[in-house]
Amino acid sequence: MSTVEDDEQDLTRKQRREQARAQRRALEEAEAASAVRRTRLTQLGIVVVVVVAIIVGILVATGGSSKTGIAKPGKEAQKVVAEVTGLVGGIPQNGNTIGNPSAPVTLQYFGDLECPICKQFTLGALPTLIGSYVRSGKLKIEYRSLQTATKEPETFKTQQVAALAAGKQQKMWYFIELFYHQQGEENTEYVTESYLQKLAQQVPGLNLTAWTAARNDPELANSITTDGQAANSAGFTGTPSFLIGKTGGAMRKFEYASLTDPSSFDSAIEKLLKA
Amino acid sequence: MSARTLRITMLVLTAIGLGVASYLTYVHYSGIKPLCGRNGGGCEIVQTSEYSKLAGVPVALIGLIGYVTILASLLAPENETSRFATAAFTVVGFGFSAYLTYREVFSIHHICEWCVSSAVIVTVLMCLAIWRFLRGDAASGRASAHAEIGGPEPAAPLRAARS
Repeated sequence: MSTVEDDEQDLTRKQRREQARAQRRALEEAEAASAVRRTRLTQLGIVVVVVVAIIVGILVATGGSSKTGIAKPGKEAQKVVAEVTGLVGGIPQNGNTIGNPSAPVTLQYFGDLECPICKQFTLGALPTLIGSYVRSGKLKIEYRSLQTATKEPETFKTQQVAALAAGKQQKMWYFIELFYHQQGEENTEYVTESYLQKLAQQVPGLNLTAWTAARNDPELANSITTDGQAANSAGFTGTPSFLIGKTGGAMRKFEYASLTDPSSFDSAIEKLLKA
Repeated sequence: MSARTLRITMLVLTAIGLGVASYLTYVHYSGIKPLCGRNGGGCEIVQTSEYSKLAGVPVALIGLIGYVTILASLLAPENETSRFATAAFTVVGFGFSAYLTYREVFSIHHICEWCVSSAVIVTVLMCLAIWRFLRGDAASGRASAHAEIGGPEPAAPLRAARS
């Protein structure tokens, strides 16, 4: 064999060795990159799991207001009833309306009894409005139903009809106030027959037999449908929402600035009283 | 996208998020009404709801602290650790934003545009941060590809297997 042939064979062997080395290196690098990627994904996975656990913990911890809902019989319940009686007691009521029927200004309050933001308004700005304008006969407030927070339409109808049934005895606003004061945690299906019965029992002077019978009145269920249609016409998608106007006149949408500070409501009412 | 462009993009987004969170924190402590979109009361309702605080701390302040932390991780010298820190902080921020959005939609039933904008910013930031962390410093060389956080050098098992 000639020297040239030997050289060519050596070169081929060398080339093959180099090719094999390059392939090994490429494989090593690919596997190393893959290992790095796996490690990074694992690290991110751990972070995600920890974050999800924390968020679930926060969701459970901040589930909402009272989990028990209804006040325990005894001092706790007496305190709630006394507070509600102090607020709405002695004010004329007629069906879903609180206030003097000939009050010059009407406010329509679209709410869902399970809505925590309605609770915020009912316990926030509303008491001042009742104290300043409703009690003095300048304003009447009509409570109208709009399903938002309540998941099940059937539950919504049952609870709203239960309130309207108390209205047949001119005690709907006691029921509404007692409901919001003892609203349970959202999405926990706390509104049961027992819950509604306990609320009804708290309403001062409510005839429970008549209340139970009134709950089957189809007119009440129909009024909830009518309220929903009125809310749709007004373009309401959330609760609480409001319509305001001179009694007997055209009602217009009212955009509040705060649910706890009554000043935006005050301004709108004063403006209508002066008009 | 180069590592530098990516970092600058993330810095800009963080600065915007920081501005939003600062404004909401200012609104919370000053008691003024936040400037809001067409719904008027949406931001006010969300800002004054029972969910506006977590363990007594305003969520706006928590957001502000979150953005400061993300900003600090972005300003730190770029390496595997800082990239991981940015990704981790943005995942936390995304989780927190998801919780707040859930509360807005399902508990408060009102939307605060400021909170939504912050949620969008942190979501984009998280996507970019995860991408940046997973690709390592591929755009500027692979110098630190093996510098893992507390992990073994990836090539080590291969070497051991060959020997």
